[in-house]
Amino acid sequence: MQPEPAVAPARMAVSDEQTVAALRAGDERAFRDLFARSYPMMKRVARAYVASDAVAEEIVQETWMAIVTGIDRFEGRSALGTWIFSILTNQAKTHSAREKRAVPFSCVAPSDPDEPAVDPDRFQKDDDAWPGHWATPPRPWQKPERRLLSLEARDHLKAALAKLPDRQRMIVGLRDIEGHSAEEVCDLLGLSQENQRVLLHRGRSRLRAALEDYLDAPDV
Amino acid sequence: MHNSDPPHNGHSASEFGLTVDEVTCQQFVELVTEYFERALQARTMSQVEEHLVMCDWCVNYVEQMQATVASLRELGPEHTPEPPDSVLGVLRARRAGGP
Repeated sequence: MQPEPAVAPARMAVSDEQTVAALRAGDERAFRDLFARSYPMMKRVARAYVASDAVAEEIVQETWMAIVTGIDRFEGRSALGTWIFSILTNQAKTHSAREKRAVPFSCVAPSDPDEPAVDPDRFQKDDDAWPGHWATPPRPWQKPERRLLSLEARDHLKAALAKLPDRQRMIVGLRDIEGHSAEEVCDLLGLSQENQRVLLHRGRSRLRAALEDYLDAPDV
Repeated sequence: MHNSDPPHNGHSASEFGLTVDEVTCQQFVELVTEYFERALQARTMSQVEEHLVMCDWCVNYVEQMQATVASLRELGPEHTPEPPDSVLGVLRARRAGGP
C-alpha cells in the first residue's frame, strides 16, 4: 500500500473527513461524486507518463482500486487529494518504467534548451533599426469568435494539443481546459510555481502559434 | 518579411520619455504568461504595462493568447466514464459488512 506523503501533520479538512468516512462505509454515492470530481485531472496526469489513453485509463482504474481497498489505512496526515495523487503518480511511474519512459516528472531540466515563444526571425535583429521589436508583427484575428468556434478550428487546436510534449499538454489541460488553479496543480503534483509556469508558457505559446498559422492561412 | 516602420505605431520612444531598459516585443512575448498570472515583479510589470500602452502589435499578441486560452476552455473537460465494476464491487462488499 502506498504510504502517505511526508507532509506536515494537519487535521483532515471537514470535507475530506466526511468523504473518507463515506468511503469506509461503502457509500457508492459519495464515491461516485469523488470519482467524477477527480477523474479528469487524474486522467490528464496519468497520460503525461504513458504513451496511450488506454494505458492512462488503466492507471486511473488501478489507482481507484488502491484507494477503495486501502482507505482504512489513510490517517489524514495529508489531504485526501494529495494521497490520491501520490498513489496515481506511483502507479504511473511503474507503467512508465515498463514503457522505458522513466523521465523525472517534475523536472523541467535546466539543460532543456530555451524554447522561444515566437520564432526569433519575426523580430528585428541587433543591426536593425529597432532591435527586439516586431519585424513580422501578429495580426488581429479577424472575427475570432466565429472562426475559433468553427469545428475545423477546434479540430486544428485539438491536433496541436495532441502534439505538445507530454508535460506541456498535461499542464495546459489542467489549467486551461479543466480550469484548475496554479496552486492546486502545484500542490497535487509537487511542482514548483516556476516549473508549472514554464510548462504552461511553452504549451500555450505553441498552441497560439498553431492557431495563428491556421487563422492567417488564406481562405480556401 | 522585414517591417521598417517604427515599432510603436508611428511614435518614437522619446515622445513617451522611455528609458533604454524598456521591454522589447521579443522580451514581452516571453513574459506574457507571467503577466497573465500576475507573477511579474513590480518594476517589470510597470515596464510591460508601459510597453502595451505603446505597442498595438503586442496588444494583438495578448489578445491572441487570450483567445487561445478561451478556445481551450471551450474544448470541454476530459470525458469521465462510469466507475469500474471491480471498484464498485469493493464498495458494495464494505456496505455489506465485508473488509
